[in-house]
Amino acid sequence: MRRILCLLAALTLLTMCVSCIGQRQINELALVTAVGIENGDKPGTIKLSVQMIRPADARGQTGSPSGGTGQPIYSAQAEGETIFDAIRELGRFVSRRVYWAHNFLIVMNEDYARRGIADMIDFFTRNHELRMNTWVAVTSDSPAELISTITGLEVVPGQAVDNLFKDNRIAGQAPSSNMMNLEEAFLSRSAEPVLARLELVSRGISNKKPLEHGSIKQVELAGAAAFKGEAMVGWVTPAETRGLLFFTERLESGIEVVGCPNNGNKLSLEFRDAKLKIKPSYRNQQAQFQVALHTNADIVESGCETNLAKICQDVERALEDRLKGKIESLLRKARRQYHSDFLKLGDVFRNKYPEEWRKIGDDWNSVFSEAQVDVAVSAKINSVVLKSVGSVK
Amino acid sequence: MPKDQTQQQQAFEPGISDNVATIDSILGASVDVQKREFMLCGNPDRSGVLYFLDGMADSQAIDGILRALVVLGNELNLDPASLSSADAIRTRLMYNASAKPCDKVADGVIGVASGDTLVLVDGIPEGILVSTRGWKDRGIEEPSTENNVRGPRDGFTESIRSNTAHIRRRIKDPLLRFDAMIVGTRTKTDINIAYIEDIVKEGLVDEVKRRLAKIKIDAILESGYVEELIEDAPLSPFNTVQSTERPDKVAAALLEGRVAIFVDNTPVVLIVPTYFWQFMQAPDDYYDRYWVGSFFRFVRYVAFFISLLLPSLYVMLVSFHSEMIPTKLALTIASGREVVPFPVFLEALMMELAFELMREAGLRMPKPIGQAVSIVGSLIIGQAAVQAGLVSPFMVIVVAITGISSFAIPSYSSSLAIRLCRFPILVASGLFGLLGFATMFFALLLHALSIRSFGESYLAPASPYHHSDQRDMLLRLPIWMLDKRPQFAQNRQRSGDRQMPHPPQPTKGEE
Repeated sequence: MRRILCLLAALTLLTMCVSCIGQRQINELALVTAVGIENGDKPGTIKLSVQMIRPADARGQTGSPSGGTGQPIYSAQAEGETIFDAIRELGRFVSRRVYWAHNFLIVMNEDYARRGIADMIDFFTRNHELRMNTWVAVTSDSPAELISTITGLEVVPGQAVDNLFKDNRIAGQAPSSNMMNLEEAFLSRSAEPVLARLELVSRGISNKKPLEHGSIKQVELAGAAAFKGEAMVGWVTPAETRGLLFFTERLESGIEVVGCPNNGNKLSLEFRDAKLKIKPSYRNQQAQFQVALHTNADIVESGCETNLAKICQDVERALEDRLKGKIESLLRKARRQYHSDFLKLGDVFRNKYPEEWRKIGDDWNSVFSEAQVDVAVSAKINSVVLKSVGSVK
Repeated sequence: MPKDQTQQQQAFEPGISDNVATIDSILGASVDVQKREFMLCGNPDRSGVLYFLDGMADSQAIDGILRALVVLGNELNLDPASLSSADAIRTRLMYNASAKPCDKVADGVIGVASGDTLVLVDGIPEGILVSTRGWKDRGIEEPSTENNVRGPRDGFTESIRSNTAHIRRRIKDPLLRFDAMIVGTRTKTDINIAYIEDIVKEGLVDEVKRRLAKIKIDAILESGYVEELIEDAPLSPFNTVQSTERPDKVAAALLEGRVAIFVDNTPVVLIVPTYFWQFMQAPDDYYDRYWVGSFFRFVRYVAFFISLLLPSLYVMLVSFHSEMIPTKLALTIASGREVVPFPVFLEALMMELAFELMREAGLRMPKPIGQAVSIVGSLIIGQAAVQAGLVSPFMVIVVAITGISSFAIPSYSSSLAIRLCRFPILVASGLFGLLGFATMFFALLLHALSIRSFGESYLAPASPYHHSDQRDMLLRLPIWMLDKRPQFAQNRQRSGDRQMPHPPQPTKGEE
């Protein structure tokens, strides 16, 4: 009995010694929601812009009055020789512990990305505190300005970009690139990374001065940045990105506008159930791909003042040409200009020809550049909304 | 050996004066001990004495005894000399329903102490113990601790005999048995062990009797005394004996092959063996339709987990694992805690204690004041403390939900056990985060897995797994599917085949 009591007493004393080790109260943390990376002013340094939340102002009044009706975010910049060095630098002036687990967005400056992002990938995947579903993007503007731009609807800008990425499939003009698929493509020999492009565009309209149209800068998600290895090689336009999404994200639907075959007006088509089939083959030391896209489409808006049933076939051809043009221009860019397989055709090839892959895999980007790629698109408008009444004058 | 006990061991003497002296010395000069002399058939040669306790014995019944002893013999023209044995008096004169001869002083005295009347006649070395128990009882009321919406409203009272009668009225099976025992050297409390002979788990009745017989204690004032003296896991926070005030619960338990232990002077009856899951089950589950029963049983399991774990989960997430909270929620929590000066663990402990304080104060106060306590308490804690920035609104919500959940558990005693288990988990998760939380939770789980209740695993039928018993554990399947008793019962089949009702099938050619 005495021994048990001694043991219990010892255990009780022991729990008092731990003093809540490792404890970090949530209100003693500076939650980071977006981080921007660019080259520092001194050569070889890195400048980090961090957007942190001020919870009391980001969430209005919950609980007792906590003062402060200021900004919901606090953005700060720090420079260091490495990313971690810069983060430690933050500790010199940020009064709370900088906490990274809730980070939504990593945005890199174009110059930094062209120099190489291996250190960024390493840091953000090595640290256990960071999430792998953080969005990663490249911008040609200043990342510091981009992350601290308050959007019209969300209180926290990082969250706004998060929502942009989440609803990305509706616009279908930028890849949903997060840390996970960035690292996946970076480590893979058969694919190259491609990241979304963020831009600051004057879009917002001021409520107080509505006449000054587009006076407020807003973050826009459109286009992509292609990489080769760790370094960015160039931009991909939003139109080409539409073609890219068929390859990387199995894009199923989107809007395309084609000209009416009978007059100069426009016709909007929504393509649905798009399916891309890639058939690789290997002949005479040459890789070949047959890319076939099948899609259904609905007419959602028509300016052609005629019975649509009559022009249906022409519209189908026009849509096919349009999609094909986008895919081909993307292929041209990837193969002729960037020599980088960010379409992940290498994955398809490797799965079909693992033996051959061993021989040519090391030099895949040049094989890919020389490979023959045939694109075939077939579209079918089978909607019942081919109404003739009302659209005929 | 004290003087009293040697006297009690002896048998009655033939001479009445010896017997009177013995009994007087045992019972002493208490005011409620009544001694009434009489003459058998009015014959001065055959004097006799009645002993009874005022207040315990029914005076009308005693009038009847006296009438039989003094007057009836003459009316029947009986010869007083022929009434020479206790048995003769009992069978020829007395018309009380229950009267038995007793030859030991001890039995007679205990009988008097429990409200019976002891009849002694000169020249007969025996006494007659006539059952005259009749004291004021509390009326039958609905048990206030176990309410239900649909189902019988009667509850047990403090009288053991009317309690057993409640069961008899529900189960008219002749194989229903009540075995009597007396426990408590001074209180001599009546204990009845109820079971159905051909259903009860084999050996269970003997085991219960063995454990009850081992009790050596001066007083049993409530069935809680018995519970603590016979339970399997005396050091555990979990109660391995079910207690109830509802006759329908006891009847259902007997029909499942369990044993009920009735203790005199308390409305609370004990049921063994007990599974943990029984504490989550309410009679309503069976009286309402099975959809409703299953749903509310599920709700109660949710309530159980909330009341056990929610404060610990909250403390653990907020103070150690902020990354596990969805970002938007994290922001809201952080903004609520912006001005709170205490660490969340301390905040949780404070609020939990304040809640328990309010509950306890509301319970102990007289009813009108109790309400005032709870109103003031909830105002202070719900409104003022948040406004003053002492606690965060989230913590108030967490504690309130936890409190409400613990009230949703039907068994009051086990909800107390869960409430106690909450604190070690809270401390562990406040000090060590997820690690402490998981360790303490599994320690509790392993402990619950290790204990038994009268030979049955506490967490059965979940572990060890009994397939057919699953129908009445997490869910309450329809009555027509509950055709088996628990796996420990002797006779497992409880209903016929194909009991599922259906509309009559139209026979061919009838339409």
